[in-house]
Amino acid sequence: MRLREVVESRRLLVCVGSGGVGKTTTAASLALAGAMAGRRVLVLTIDPARRLANSLGIREFGNTEVRIPLPDVPGELWAMMLDAPSTLREVIGRLSRDDAHRDSVLNNRIFQAIAGNFSGSQEYMATERLYDVYSSGRYDLIVLDTPPVKNALDFLESPGRMTRFLDKQIMKWFLSGAEEERLGRRLLAGTTTMVFRLLGHIFGREFLNELSTFFNIFKEFYEGFRERHEAVGRLFIAPTTRFVVVSAPTDPSVEVAEFFLQELGRRNCPTAGVVVNQVHQASQRPLDPEVLLGAAARQIDAAVAPRVLARLGAAHRRLRELSALDRERVERLRRMAGAGLWIQEIPRLSGEIHDLEGLRRLHPYLLG
Amino acid sequence: MSADSSVLLRSRALFLTGKGGTGKTTIAAAIGRLAAAQGRRTLVAELDNQRSSLTSIFGVTPGYVPQEVSPRLSVCNVEWNPAMDDFLSDIVSIPRVVRMITHNRVVSIFLDATPGARDLVLLWRVYRLTQQYDCVVVDLPASGNAVAMLAVPNTARRLFDAGPIRACADELLAFYPKEGVGVVQVALPEEMVVTETIETFRKLRSELPMLRILQVILNRATNPSLAADERAMLERLAADTAGTPGPAQELVEAGRWEAGLEVATAEARERLAGLDTALLSVPVLSRGDGSARVVEQTSAALARQSAAPLVWRA
Repeated sequence: MRLREVVESRRLLVCVGSGGVGKTTTAASLALAGAMAGRRVLVLTIDPARRLANSLGIREFGNTEVRIPLPDVPGELWAMMLDAPSTLREVIGRLSRDDAHRDSVLNNRIFQAIAGNFSGSQEYMATERLYDVYSSGRYDLIVLDTPPVKNALDFLESPGRMTRFLDKQIMKWFLSGAEEERLGRRLLAGTTTMVFRLLGHIFGREFLNELSTFFNIFKEFYEGFRERHEAVGRLFIAPTTRFVVVSAPTDPSVEVAEFFLQELGRRNCPTAGVVVNQVHQASQRPLDPEVLLGAAARQIDAAVAPRVLARLGAAHRRLRELSALDRERVERLRRMAGAGLWIQEIPRLSGEIHDLEGLRRLHPYLLG
Repeated sequence: MSADSSVLLRSRALFLTGKGGTGKTTIAAAIGRLAAAQGRRTLVAELDNQRSSLTSIFGVTPGYVPQEVSPRLSVCNVEWNPAMDDFLSDIVSIPRVVRMITHNRVVSIFLDATPGARDLVLLWRVYRLTQQYDCVVVDLPASGNAVAMLAVPNTARRLFDAGPIRACADELLAFYPKEGVGVVQVALPEEMVVTETIETFRKLRSELPMLRILQVILNRATNPSLAADERAMLERLAADTAGTPGPAQELVEAGRWEAGLEVATAEARERLAGLDTALLSVPVLSRGDGSARVVEQTSAALARQSAAPLVWRA
């Protein structure tokens, strides 16, 4: 399925790939294409939001949905950045019985560590946010710009990992164990006592107490969390979803792209194709500056002409060298993707893209 | 602060951070190579990397146990599972108990999912490795995650008032301010990358004020060399060829592309100069020669920026 069809007919588009390959710009450009096709589109990104804000031509935006003014466009374009700590606080607020219950969670040190900026929290919260906006029904299409994780799997696995941490069996086991311990009973099975002692060895008694407090408060949230994360897991394999692998013509990003293609396939995530950004382009044959520009240059300034002509020749040689290398990597991606997937090359455009016009300039390549 | 690569070569532990695609791994390998050439027992370490970037450079896939790739230079990949076992061995002195822990499903789920546990365990392993090598160069994950990882002892201190994990966190925080321990940030002459580098710098300063930021390395720098009259002619030619696509225009555009790289480099240097740290540069190198050759050339570029004379040992 080509990208034009994806932005016109699917409900979720997930851009994955390594950092620094133009994922955010690609996501924003595709979201804009959806809006231009008349749909209500949200592009959901991770920080730094300035990057997306820049490319959307606005100063900045926060953790709430912001509409991007688009004159003469039939659809709507909205953008939102992901702020992990405030997202989790909001979720807790929504799931809490009352203010006291909410505060007991928010003031728990374990919760604070979870809400903090440890690695992995972005991935958890991206899925939370995604679930929110997806189920709100406010959008025809959501374009998700995934966090730049070195371990590419973290993102796909985060629903599973979160669910495991909040596994009800474990929580129940833990809570009953903690209670028995507290009361000094000897009713526990031998293994449970032992595991408790082991956990005490590693984490310290005080932490275990706090953890049981945390679980006690949290057990009411558990069903809600699990449902949400399972729902996101199902969303990742839904026929209304497409993944797009974004890469650049460099060895590390091609390797990450290869890995993503394998993993998406293994997990049955519907994958549309591969976008290769920042491809250097030059004609394959060498160009002679003297023949092509000698007369024109001398006419401007005969003294400067030789230096400029030499530089032009050198710059073009370098560009050709880079374009040849880029071509090899694009070919490697093509072989990897096999017959079922398309590969879309985007030339390295001069200047960084920092407005809607720039995003629009990508459309002929992305949607072509 | 003056740019001096010998600071890096004398160091004990270097934590390399940088946005994805900045060439962090190449720089890590180049520093490692150079430090080893100075006669120091050096280790280049990746952290739980499922796709090793060091393989194409050194021709071996690094495992958990460090492997020597050239005299005095070793590489390793600090994998999570064995690092966990080692961590547990350090905090629980009875091997039988360690085995019980690692074989228990409940406990391993706890360890896998407890916030920050993973980062702490990997960092702890790195710390232990610094006790075995003269110099350890750590290729950290991309910026945001790197700060979170380095700051994980702070997280652990907030969670644990006492106990073995608290003790590890305290030991790591006591290690950070030591002489020869510090962060190296890798940047590129691109607006977004420079912005992120500055943000990471500020974040590190506020969250970990005791940890030195030794250098910022501007990778793939194109030194400004285009004279004003040359630039003026380039613009004139661009105006002349505008609207007539063809080989002449392609040549002029190639010239402008290179001129743009020079401008971007100058801008990046100016913005990074505002940070209170030294700035080294590595020029654009030809990727066509393969990653091992790029590492070699990067080492040479860094060596040229050393204030102290370098000793080379085979």
